[in-house]
Amino acid sequence: MGQTLKRTLRENWLYALILIGLIAFPFIVGAITGSSPNGVPRGDRMIMRGESVRWQAVLIELFILSILAMSYNLMFGFTGVVSFGHALFFGLGGYILGLALEYVAMDTGVALVVGVLAGVAVCGVVGLLVGLVSLRLSGVYFAIFTLAIAEMFFIYFGRLPLTRAEDGFPITELPIWLDPAQSRLTFYYVALAFFVAVFLFIRRLMNSPTGAVFKAVRENEDRAQAIGYNTLRYKLIAIILAGMIAALAGMLQILLNKKVGPELLGISNTVNPLLMTIIGGIGTFTGPVVGASGLHLLDTILRESVITIGSLSIRIADVWELILGGIFMITVIIFPQGIVGTWQRRRGKRVG
Amino acid sequence: MTSTIRRSSTVAIAVIFCGLLLFTFVRSGGNLGNFGITVLSGLFQGMLLFLVASGLSIIFGLMDILNLAQGTYFMLGAYVAYDIQHAGGVVDLTQTIPNPNVRFPLALIGAVLVGGVLGVVLERGLLRRLYSRPVFQLVLTFGVALVLTEAIKAIWTTTPYSWTEVFGLRTQTFELFGQAFSVYRLFIIGMGFLLIIGIALLLRRTRIGIIIRAGVEDSTMVEALGINVRAVFTLVFTLGCAVAALGGAVAAPFLGASSSLADAFLLQAVAVVVLGGMGSYEGSAVGSLMVGLAIAVAQDATIGTSLSVLPSITPMLVLILILLLRPSGLFGSTR
Repeated sequence: MGQTLKRTLRENWLYALILIGLIAFPFIVGAITGSSPNGVPRGDRMIMRGESVRWQAVLIELFILSILAMSYNLMFGFTGVVSFGHALFFGLGGYILGLALEYVAMDTGVALVVGVLAGVAVCGVVGLLVGLVSLRLSGVYFAIFTLAIAEMFFIYFGRLPLTRAEDGFPITELPIWLDPAQSRLTFYYVALAFFVAVFLFIRRLMNSPTGAVFKAVRENEDRAQAIGYNTLRYKLIAIILAGMIAALAGMLQILLNKKVGPELLGISNTVNPLLMTIIGGIGTFTGPVVGASGLHLLDTILRESVITIGSLSIRIADVWELILGGIFMITVIIFPQGIVGTWQRRRGKRVG
Repeated sequence: MTSTIRRSSTVAIAVIFCGLLLFTFVRSGGNLGNFGITVLSGLFQGMLLFLVASGLSIIFGLMDILNLAQGTYFMLGAYVAYDIQHAGGVVDLTQTIPNPNVRFPLALIGAVLVGGVLGVVLERGLLRRLYSRPVFQLVLTFGVALVLTEAIKAIWTTTPYSWTEVFGLRTQTFELFGQAFSVYRLFIIGMGFLLIIGIALLLRRTRIGIIIRAGVEDSTMVEALGINVRAVFTLVFTLGCAVAALGGAVAAPFLGASSSLADAFLLQAVAVVVLGGMGSYEGSAVGSLMVGLAIAVAQDATIGTSLSVLPSITPMLVLILILLLRPSGLFGSTR
């Protein structure tokens, strides 16, 4: 027992260190900047003000993006299924939880549990249905088919009067202990827990026999079929699991923003995880997390800064898309394996 | 085998078109004016889609690249044409060539040139390094679309431009069985048909067209015959970008030039190319008309009802339906 624990720790010391860092993060930032990790009390309510609370929000968003990117990588990087409809699951999960919280007359705690379970279940079923009808399509046809389905939902929810069309609706009924505007520290740990759980789940899955078949499907589907695997079934499993995990990310997103709107289903929630995965490293465990963290932190830090060249001053926020486009172009041309992939390859060469 | 596939899809296409037309005719209750307007509006929307889709289609057919920057080239064409036609902006030709009707053809030529040159730059400078890696090409063209959009915003600001006058066509209407229809929309329909015929002639009747079609079938074999396929790739990519820019320039007097043009058409154009069968030029022409007509019929049928969301999801619905029936699109080969 002690032996296994020691070995696990020795192999994963970096992960353990990062995890401890993330757990202590709100307090470290609080100590450095002299702000409380709980926010500022005013009467019996808390006001979310101060550096620690602000950075907690940044990291929560980072966890959400990472979960979304990891789920995309499970399908795209490990199983080789290129879908352009991932935003469908992200948005659907968010909408279902939002509807359960706001539109169903239930105790908020119960509604929360029911909403999460229903959202994950519905996304699983939708993944199954979409996969069943579309997996016989090949390559680009499959990608565009999934894009069309996601886009239909996007347009539909953007016009649906029940969910207030393109304005969306706010989340008002939320248990106080989870409310990111009241107890953000708790919400931070909830998001962190989901993030760690998804990471461990995907790692465990990919080290299992099922994961091995996923990789076989990616490498050569015909051959995997020839040795007797029902590759369609494995691709379906990958799509369903990825859809359910993306639904969780969507739920965290609506809880953090306390708002549900059609932009959740927008194409950027497909494109972002795709690009984050590619920049971080396709088919690696840490790649999507590195890609998501890199882009999100860069965005957060650079957004408010201003560059002055002579008399010309440029706000980074105005040219952010330009920078983003440049990053994509440079990555695919110079580091096609992504950050983690390139690093692993260099290290592999030195060792071998 | 191939001929039966062709025949069965021809029948299916005919059935869909006749069904749409019949539905409209029955709905109009024999009122030829309403019927004609719906059909013309369908043709117009189909042609507008085709202006973006044609370039996408020929590029994908030969090179297997889904060029996500195509919508941005369309937008670029609109801006360049506006710039040449009107005062202000980068060049001001209103003093040198006072006649706006002379400036309009110049605007079209200018758009084609700028689109073509930027097409060469993209293909030679960037895409060439990424052949045989389709997902990376996709990401690259997406990155190019972002950068190009920002560059356009920087040059022409984000304020939308609307056109003044072209041959007195822009604001004129004509009567059809007692219903008014914009003349410029008719002009766009005409340009669309010219483009279809022009590119079809290029592909069917010229030596370079034969090489392109052979390259679509089997580019390795063409290379083995001693033809520089790489050069043909560059040519086709340039042609595709130039056609998109031309489309933007033609549509600009009607749509105006704004930074939302790229996104507005790209997705629908991709849908059209896919449902037509990737790489089939006829497919994307037929697909454009089908989707355009379906949108017009849906608009006509749901106007003022609670189903008014239907027209905007029609392209996606048609795509999903067609792909469920024919997994490689209307004219796609079942490889």
